[in-house]
Amino acid sequence: MTEIISIRKPLNPNADSDVESSDEEMLEASLAPKNNNQSIVTPGELITEDPIWMRGHGTYYLNEKTYSSVAGTISKVNKLLSVVPLRGRYQPETGDHVVGRITEVGPKRWKVDIGARQDAALMLGSVNLPGGVLRRKSESDELQMRNFLKEGDLLNAEVQSIFQDGSASLHTRSLKYGKLRNGYFVKVPSSLIIRQKNHLHELPGSITIIIGVNGYIWISKTLYQHQKSLPSTTGNNALDSTVSSAAAKSNSYTPGQGSVSITRLEEESSWEIYSDKNEPISVATKDTIARYANCVKALAKCDIGITETRIIAAYEASMVYENAGLLLDEETMKSIGEDVLNRERMRG
Amino acid sequence: MFKITLSPAERSYLHESLSCLSPIRPDARLNKQFRPLEATCSFLPGSNGSARIRMADGAECLASVKAKVVSLQLNNANSAQHLKNLIEVDLDINGIRDDSNLSSTIASSLKGSLVKHIPLEKLRLTHRYAFKLFIDIVVLSHSSVYPLTLLSLATYMALKSTKLPLLTSTVNDRDIEEQPMFSDDWESSLALFGDSSLSPPLLFVVAVVKDNIFIDPSPEEESVSENGICLTYANGKIISPLQTISLSPKDNTGINSAQILKAHALVKEIGPLVVKSLDEIVSDDSIKTIF
Repeated sequence: MTEIISIRKPLNPNADSDVESSDEEMLEASLAPKNNNQSIVTPGELITEDPIWMRGHGTYYLNEKTYSSVAGTISKVNKLLSVVPLRGRYQPETGDHVVGRITEVGPKRWKVDIGARQDAALMLGSVNLPGGVLRRKSESDELQMRNFLKEGDLLNAEVQSIFQDGSASLHTRSLKYGKLRNGYFVKVPSSLIIRQKNHLHELPGSITIIIGVNGYIWISKTLYQHQKSLPSTTGNNALDSTVSSAAAKSNSYTPGQGSVSITRLEEESSWEIYSDKNEPISVATKDTIARYANCVKALAKCDIGITETRIIAAYEASMVYENAGLLLDEETMKSIGEDVLNRERMRG
Repeated sequence: MFKITLSPAERSYLHESLSCLSPIRPDARLNKQFRPLEATCSFLPGSNGSARIRMADGAECLASVKAKVVSLQLNNANSAQHLKNLIEVDLDINGIRDDSNLSSTIASSLKGSLVKHIPLEKLRLTHRYAFKLFIDIVVLSHSSVYPLTLLSLATYMALKSTKLPLLTSTVNDRDIEEQPMFSDDWESSLALFGDSSLSPPLLFVVAVVKDNIFIDPSPEEESVSENGICLTYANGKIISPLQTISLSPKDNTGINSAQILKAHALVKEIGPLVVKSLDEIVSDDSIKTIF
């Protein structure tokens, strides 16, 4: 019966909060003197009366006292005092790998929703032209902007710079950026994403995931055309040569092979990079994508920071449930979350 | 109103996975599986029956049933007509104007099916007086184009939990006019659907993609669906109204009889299970004392 419909009763907020708040107060009171600089502040709470601190983001100054303007944790860097909000909209930073959706096509630029306070701008000059031709964008390019990207299209890009008003300027000048196809889009709070070196990962089950720093996540089928040209140049060369020496010999090594470099721009970026057509995707792959999407949602529900290893751990934990649709249940989500955390503790 | 934009690639991915032989919904649900719900009832003080139902994505609906004693106009010829007027449905969907087409269509189809399935004779107190039921439904937030399923689940629970005070004065006031008197003891109140063979109707919206039928479609599924069908279920049967609705602005193709039969079979299969789980919540919450 739970397979069809699950209705549960809401937690009684009144009965619970009484107990919790008194508990919390006691906890806070006992912790407060020990770690003052790690404490959580609420909007309007007095942080310090000491005027030597410089006031950073999330604070305001009144009668020579510094107060918090958001709910979050205090961070102190040298003499700069700021409050990092617990939740809130995504704040773009230069170099962030983000996923966004086109909302508007304007003069020489696209407006992209990246979940920040303002829409980001993607200038016509910061995208690759089909065919990889390197030239100034002309008026005719401006006229066919909708042939490249139009309203509703999803893309991944890098934050190139931040404008004065805090909005971001994006660029897609690399083959790893551009229009997204062959997959499914999931949104989670951006505060759960941890900034990392790499935001594009390959997961078991031939799935590629792009974890945008802005909390927009793209789960898609892995395309193997790039992998085929990847030679085994480093690492287990010795092993490879013994196993498949014949194959290795036929593929002679050329410099720059295997890395996505500007030299391959011409061959790779035909009109296909702006195509709207999906590759054929098998039912099994779609099933796996749906399961990964539910795993990501489960991690978000449990307020666990989302990383590649945790997604894989959640995916493995979810294999207990044959019907991945059961992962939508709150209890199941919690048990998956606990599972992931336990695994991490075991590893140390 | 909530609007969802999808890129062409996403749209074709979703449509393809929903239309294949063994369809895969984007959240891996079965085609007859609901999203998890959270519900409670009999919580509004001052109303005879109430329910609140919530979805995980934040969609929320409140329903309240309030009974008021009204005097019946003594005109024997139209007594059936008068009984129909004993039910008043008021609907407020957040983000949609009260006098909009959608709002008034839903309200009238809801009222039409409720009139047939509420034991109207139970509302009759005496020869001159009767209870009038005011059913107020508020959809606080919703992500769906057609929030009818959510709304009807809430209405069902509110009606099921409705209790009417016990009449203590005489039933026969044909000759001498007398104000009806009620028992002070709420314990002795009567449930509107207590011993009745009738039960409130449930309306389900299903999305149609090719030959597949999906219950409780998510906004994404709605936007790639070709058609929607609204079915009414009561007492183990599919009853009228059964109508097609448009869930997405484009891609509307015709509907064929096979799809309607499939939808019919699907709702007939899940109906008893939905009723059972809703009734469990109602009987759990009915112990709570209000007033």
